[in-house]
Amino acid sequence: MAQPIMQLRGVSKSFGMTHALTDLSLDLYPGEVHALVGENGAGKSTMIKIMTGVYQPTAGDIHVDGDVKKIQGPQAARDLGVAAIYQEPMVFPDLDVTENIFISARSEGLFRRPARQARKARELIARIGMEMDVDQVASGLTLAEQQAVEIARALSEDVRVLIMDEPTASLSAHEATRLRAIALSLAAEGVAVVYISHRLEEIFEIADRVTVIRDGGHISTRDIAEVTPDGMIAEMVGRDVGNYLNKAPSTAQNTVALQIEKLTLSGVFEDIDFTLHRGEVICMAGLVGARRTDVALSIFGVEPATSGTIRVFGQDHQITHPRQAMDAGIAYVSEDRRKLGLAMPMPIRANISVATLGGFLNRWGILNQDAEREVAENYRTRLNIRTPDVEIPVGTLSGGNQQKAMLAKWLNMNPEILIFDEPTRGIDVGAKAEVHDLIREFTAAGGAAIVISSDLPEVLALGDRILVMREGQQMGLLTAQEATQERIMVLATGQAETMEAS
Amino acid sequence: MTMLSRLKSWEGFLLAALLLIIAANTVLSPQFLTFSNQINLFQLSIEKIIVALVMTLIIINGEIDLSVGSMMGLAACSFGFLFANGVPAGLACMIVMVIGVIGGVLNGYFIARVGLPSLVVTLATLIGFRGLARVLVEDRGITDFPDWFDALGQQGLIGQLPLSIILFFLLFGLFYVVLQRSGFGRKTYLIGNNRDVADFAGIDTARHKMALFVASGAISALAGLLFAARVGAVRGDVASGFELDIITMVLLGGVSIFGGSGSLWGTLLAVLIVLNLRNGMALLNITGHIQTGVIGVLLIASVIAPRINLGGLLAAVTRSEGKGT
Repeated sequence: MAQPIMQLRGVSKSFGMTHALTDLSLDLYPGEVHALVGENGAGKSTMIKIMTGVYQPTAGDIHVDGDVKKIQGPQAARDLGVAAIYQEPMVFPDLDVTENIFISARSEGLFRRPARQARKARELIARIGMEMDVDQVASGLTLAEQQAVEIARALSEDVRVLIMDEPTASLSAHEATRLRAIALSLAAEGVAVVYISHRLEEIFEIADRVTVIRDGGHISTRDIAEVTPDGMIAEMVGRDVGNYLNKAPSTAQNTVALQIEKLTLSGVFEDIDFTLHRGEVICMAGLVGARRTDVALSIFGVEPATSGTIRVFGQDHQITHPRQAMDAGIAYVSEDRRKLGLAMPMPIRANISVATLGGFLNRWGILNQDAEREVAENYRTRLNIRTPDVEIPVGTLSGGNQQKAMLAKWLNMNPEILIFDEPTRGIDVGAKAEVHDLIREFTAAGGAAIVISSDLPEVLALGDRILVMREGQQMGLLTAQEATQERIMVLATGQAETMEAS
Repeated sequence: MTMLSRLKSWEGFLLAALLLIIAANTVLSPQFLTFSNQINLFQLSIEKIIVALVMTLIIINGEIDLSVGSMMGLAACSFGFLFANGVPAGLACMIVMVIGVIGGVLNGYFIARVGLPSLVVTLATLIGFRGLARVLVEDRGITDFPDWFDALGQQGLIGQLPLSIILFFLLFGLFYVVLQRSGFGRKTYLIGNNRDVADFAGIDTARHKMALFVASGAISALAGLLFAARVGAVRGDVASGFELDIITMVLLGGVSIFGGSGSLWGTLLAVLIVLNLRNGMALLNITGHIQTGVIGVLLIASVIAPRINLGGLLAAVTRSEGKGT
């Protein structure tokens, strides 16, 4: 192979007593897609921050084109051609696409030349195979388009090493496919692409080599041909988790738990119809903009439906506030931990008790904090929430453990019907398997679950039935036997409007 | 180590500062530590201090109430107006408390139900309540209240302790239990941290905020009455500008202006610091303007302090190895 563009040589980083990275080495060659995998907290983010100049290594050095370079800051990294894009794109919402692409264009001289920049912006967007109006403001773009803008920005600065950190975690399946195609075409142009993802199937689709890191240390670097999914997972978690994507036997019973009839929120979604049984899992699949979350929010009373019926165990319910949904035995685990799920600065204990606060009060309204702590400790053990103490702020936990704390909050309500919205997005394989086990445990005990997920293997593994939505319409309700990834995608993309709607 | 970890919190720092100020004052003036000087110290600001208690809850909840000073003024003027028009003082007090509740409901309605920012709503009622107060008493000063009323404000009720100071300690106890021990207090922190999380957990956040603003209106009205009793006279500009002193004390106590954190102990310590510092400076014949300046510097320090991370600084000193952001 050619000379590596960038090499990390024995890089270590510690924060006080914590060692985030230990003696890590990595070679990045032009034209390769190099996948970087590891559990949350394995040190991937620290590594990115070192490569992009946000952190300085405490030991070891970085070579660029064979020379030792100190990357003093993000600007220095960009000058060397190192750029990173993230799951949450960093665009300026009120600037247009062109302005976003050329946000740091220092080579442009004193004055902006809007026409020339717009022309270049169009070229860059076309080069990565996207179509968009470069004059529109970024806030109107989809997540996928915003990421494309970031990639175009990197290209405008002659990127040589492009780090993509969980770029597809929030994208729908076909947007993700397009993004992977962009990554491949950049590699074909000679860029070294560092690709970080928790979706193993996409790593096998595009990576040339895979590096596994665990607990801040290098475990292995291999050609993709030498790697199996199970072997990779075992290396990541340091133990064998089994194949969590295997379909478990259904635990569905005959009792109807939730019956949704012609549920409509005008202008958002209409005529949603399904029946959910005790012990059953219905997965909701669809692309971004399918309005699955809106349906869930209506059932939970956050965005009350304008018409239609919600029947819980045979009884009609008017649900206009989460309290009423909760009283009917419905809980909703939000996809947005940060905004809607957890009060990050507050202790784990207080976050777990929040939906069931009334149960911890005596008749004077005084909180029994000992009981709270006991409940929190129980869930810490039961859900394997990794923390030294339930009194520390929940925001200090890793993503997977935050997710478990959020689940604990709702499990403590003893709900009959639990709606999980993207329960495994952005969490590592080990935690994913644990969340899947929890969902199955819940249904095995007679609970009814709705799982909204954009991860098709997950949908197929968990769902007894699969409800596919597209732009506010229910496109079909497939049984586990009928469902395949292709069938779901056909419905979700609307290619089967006439022939297939069941 | 426990000493160190105590110092790490802002409250710990305030306590240390307070002890220092008291020590300095004691050295400067032998009268300082006498019971009557301490009572006097308290009484001069007691109405603000009482309102600071409820303001602590409001700011932790992520809101602000700028109308408290005007409500105190409106309460005092309404009392004067009613009394001057022949309403018995006792009945007038009750009517004034009702006015406080109505003012709180008004704020609460626009903030909690309509969803307007409290900064704007209470700025409007700051102007509105004050205007109403001035309309009621015009340019007059109203005085000659019944003896029992003035006595409540000016004389000791239990020994040397006047009613207002007793009320303060009772209210402190009540608010302490509510904020730090009750479900209501937990919700106060939670909503201040993240209202959406509270809404999604089925908590009626609008009702919670309504309750807080009603409490704020009622307590401000009570404080206005205490002020009228202590001074023995009311005018249209009673308690004007008090809201800023009150908010200053709360923020100095380490309550985050963004909501979600702070404690009632912090507010109490900040109150004591402000009182003792002003008293000490007065003993040194430092003018009121400079006193105000010193308080301002302290306030800025209290806002900066969480950012420079006192704990990290101390840890860095002991370990000689700083930790990243």
